[in-house]
Amino acid sequence: MSDALSRRDFVATLGSAGAVWLLADVTVREDAAAHAAHQVTQAQPALAVFTREQATEIEAIASRIIPTDDTPGAREAGVIYFIDRSLATWAKDQLPVFTEGLTRLPKDVETRFAGQSRFSALAPAQQDEVLKSIEQTPFFGTMRFATLAGMFSLPTHGGNRDFVGWKLMGQENAMEFTPPFGWYDTPANRRAMLGGDA
Amino acid sequence: MSAAQGRATGQGTPRRQYATTDAVDFVVVGSGAAGGSVARELTRLGHSVVLLEQGKAYTRGDFHHDELEIVLNNKYANLPPAHVQTYRKVPDARAERRHYLLYAMAVGGSSMHYAANYWRFRPGDFNEYSRRGGVPGAALADWPITYDDLEPYYTAVEWAIGVSGQGGADPDEGRRSRPYPMPALPVTGPGVVLEIAAKKMGWRALPAPMAINSRPYKGREACHNCGFCWNFPCEWGAKSGTNFTMVPEALASGRCELRSECKVSRIETDDRGRVTGVVYFDASRTEVRQRARAVFLCANGAETPRLLLMSSSSRFPNGLANSSGMVGKHLMFNGNTGAGGEYEHEVNGHKGPPVTRIVLDTYDLHDKGFAGGGGFDFRYPFPPILSALSMPPDVPQWGAEFKQTMRRVHTRAVQCWGHTTSLPVPTNAVDLDPEAKDSWGLPAIRVTFKEHESDMQMYRYMYDRGIELLKAGGALRTWGTPPGDDPGIAVHLLGTCRMGNDPATSVVNAAHRAHDVPNLFMVDGSSFVTSGRGQPTLTIQALAFRAADLASRAAKRGELG
Repeated sequence: MSDALSRRDFVATLGSAGAVWLLADVTVREDAAAHAAHQVTQAQPALAVFTREQATEIEAIASRIIPTDDTPGAREAGVIYFIDRSLATWAKDQLPVFTEGLTRLPKDVETRFAGQSRFSALAPAQQDEVLKSIEQTPFFGTMRFATLAGMFSLPTHGGNRDFVGWKLMGQENAMEFTPPFGWYDTPANRRAMLGGDA
Repeated sequence: MSAAQGRATGQGTPRRQYATTDAVDFVVVGSGAAGGSVARELTRLGHSVVLLEQGKAYTRGDFHHDELEIVLNNKYANLPPAHVQTYRKVPDARAERRHYLLYAMAVGGSSMHYAANYWRFRPGDFNEYSRRGGVPGAALADWPITYDDLEPYYTAVEWAIGVSGQGGADPDEGRRSRPYPMPALPVTGPGVVLEIAAKKMGWRALPAPMAINSRPYKGREACHNCGFCWNFPCEWGAKSGTNFTMVPEALASGRCELRSECKVSRIETDDRGRVTGVVYFDASRTEVRQRARAVFLCANGAETPRLLLMSSSSRFPNGLANSSGMVGKHLMFNGNTGAGGEYEHEVNGHKGPPVTRIVLDTYDLHDKGFAGGGGFDFRYPFPPILSALSMPPDVPQWGAEFKQTMRRVHTRAVQCWGHTTSLPVPTNAVDLDPEAKDSWGLPAIRVTFKEHESDMQMYRYMYDRGIELLKAGGALRTWGTPPGDDPGIAVHLLGTCRMGNDPATSVVNAAHRAHDVPNLFMVDGSSFVTSGRGQPTLTIQALAFRAADLASRAAKRGELG
């Protein structure tokens, strides 16, 4: 990747506090918007990039990054559809990271669990063991970022279905809020903490 | 549609149009904090104005909570491949392609999506050099104007656009001729935590001056606390960027024609060395020439010097208005530090305006051995994806425990952000890359930038105080990364066409008039002699109002042709 400008980082890097900007092209964003508008009308989204088998593996990884427990995880959020759509549009140039990762994955599985090759067929603890072994790879870093982006971006991008990601965080989907917003700005608590200075 | 909405969208106002062959009084290049303000004042004072903006004109209906598109994919930024920049750390190095300077491409410029912190400079900011002395390796100088010169314009801007604040709360602020037009925004969770922290440190938490309406103002809504604010254009029109304030007023005057998606490539001069107009590419990339009696460059601290350098001629071989060689020099960004803290109770800093309390006890750090200083705020401006990417690093970053961390921390986290001075270093600069071109075929911006060692020490000091402040507020844990010597990306673009009385060491005079060209004016972040403490927009706008006032007087005296 010699030319930093031709690259759109799917793996986020946070700048220092003043600015957190990641780079992507204008044209691919417009593609993405058109694609999203089309996809959102379909009940069962079609896959644009992955085969069903590949999607099963990717979804299995995503659901170890944000597992399902007493609340929905990456699987229920439809993160796989977000990733597939992104790779078809604005994150097109990240596709090789996924195809290479998917190509390697059966070997990573087999190294640890002889006779096995499908990540999605492993038990959760076994899956975690495989992921720990590839935790430092670009594939896993990109998967982690893509899973978070799919969990917490607007549902129009394919993931965060019914805002399950936002609900997990305590982020309400509303255009306005009325104070107090939390514990500290509740007047009685503020007075208790600050005394006469409140 | 209400009258206010009509004004904001320009509907209901007969659109003024000027012929390109007719010399308008002023062409203003850029419609952001500076250019929008200049256009508003010049039209109010009776002048004809063509306002050129390279970005698009958006309306409220275009805005939404789409973090992926707006923040992560930088919907509004000056991005490649259309925009090209190169970067090198020091002048003898070869520059590599790297996008370093970011600003918003839109009517309103970066004021369309800023956090809207609206600190005035203190009087001592204008003569820090003579009060505190120089620093080796930095070209510190006093401003050619004082706080008192600028005060009427600070006040005029605050009332023109709507700023919420509490005059007199800061005992060290300068004289104020009028109170703020609106009371300060009600304190939110991060603000209360900062109050607790400051009290423990023996510091003062002050109500933050913010260009966000705390009540309805001039036909615009008060803030509805949606929380998608920092980096987002306001869906309510409550944030006072020039897209909602100055530009609509300029258009409503009937004397201003706004041409968006027009990229200026050159300032034209005649054989007397006076400006005759500008050349630009319109949206279809057709070259257009607009004649003008005078030109205002308000294109920001990167694009204003670039335009001057691109406008070289046999008469101005080093670039227009550059006999001093100072065009593009002294690039400053403001230092910034950031650290996170997790608190016992729900803070919910994702609701409400980004900042409601600030601390300025570190404003002057000379007694600690540093040049300059700065201030702090507490906020939690991270929308959900950035929040997920900013979890405390001492816990697993994926899996069941990570999920529980996100579930707990998003509502309980606070960021402490420090905002500081940065020194004017002559070799830190914007100029033209000798090879790279943008998609218009114009020379790419080349950035040369290396932090001054004194600034690095001061940033580290501020970072450490920020962590202390988070802990004093009761943080259960804190996290962060001290500022590195490469900021990576910069958004406050300052100092590159500095003001001064001496034509040998500055680009514009105290009236923002080019020393070398009597009918060419520059005002924006490039005018700054020193960087201020990290919140430059109000000062940019006050300078813009003052520059427009003085230029109007010159025009009325017949000096501009």
